[in-house]
Amino acid sequence: MIVRVAAFLLACAIPGTALAQDAGHGTHDMTAPDGQTAPGDERPKRMAAPKDARAYIIWPSNGTVINGGKFWVRMGLQNYGVAPAGVRREGTGHHHLIIDSELPPLDEPIPNDRNHLHFGGGQTEARVELPPGQHTLQMLLGDADHVPHDPPVTSSKITITVR
Amino acid sequence: MRSSALVAAVAAGFVSVFVALAPGAAPADDRHPAPKDAYAYIGWPNDGEVVTGRFKVWLGLRNFGVAPSGVDKPNTGHHHLLIDVGVPPLDEPIPNDRNHVHLGAGQTETYLELPPGRHTLQLLMGDADHVPHDPPVTSKKITITVR
Ligand SMILES: [Cu+2]
Ligand SMILES: [Cu+2]
Repeated sequence: MIVRVAAFLLACAIPGTALAQDAGHGTHDMTAPDGQTAPGDERPKRMAAPKDARAYIIWPSNGTVINGGKFWVRMGLQNYGVAPAGVRREGTGHHHLIIDSELPPLDEPIPNDRNHLHFGGGQTEARVELPPGQHTLQMLLGDADHVPHDPPVTSSKITITVR
Repeated sequence: MRSSALVAAVAAGFVSVFVALAPGAAPADDRHPAPKDAYAYIGWPNDGEVVTGRFKVWLGLRNFGVAPSGVDKPNTGHHHLLIDVGVPPLDEPIPNDRNHVHLGAGQTETYLELPPGRHTLQLLMGDADHVPHDPPVTSKKITITVR
């Protein structure tokens, strides 16, 4: 909320009592001091996911033939939650749609290109446009930093045909 | 600090007091904006569906994103399922009771178990603090029958 709480600012200056008043609206610098960070080549620790967390493509279903190359992909998620990229919260991740590609390495951030779409705004549906022919689609959840969970929360890979 | 009153009191030339007063109640324009094309819908069950026992409800959302409660990001919110009830006041947090189910962990589907009979279901997004957006991102109200 922008201004849900009443903001109260009181500045009082009395001669002889110089009171430096910081409004306190600036964010405190929470940056960790350098020097205690992990070695550069250490992989980010993968976020744990429960075994029953499951991603699935609600639509299209496997084998669907789509006329015209533009369609909505509806992404489903069981026993797990959605959070935008950058939000680190237990039990959540954001959707990625892998198009015409295998699963990427699971111990690093999911690539960001035309074969790996990120839905970092917490979207659960994707507008996709594909050229005529056969295509594969697969979902893969990523954490705040786009790294897959452990075990990975992924859907089965489906094949569709665009006419 | 919209509509705040600035009161300056200068006493005897050496004490200055500045007080900014904000209104006590949350004004309606404090609601998070939502794009006009944000669209929420109940993907399952369909309107008029007859279901038995415990059934799955999946919640659809377009041109908008999901975030757990407490996460304040533009164009996101979390799902609320309104059961057998109308849309609550839009300028305050959505109630939390058996008629207003919060999916505050960012879930996009859930299971419901309702007594036999006719029931209505409607989806309403709420922001980090469970307050509906402006305009509200809400689905059509559907009626189902539980056998
Ligand atoms: Cu990502
Ligand atoms: Cu809520």
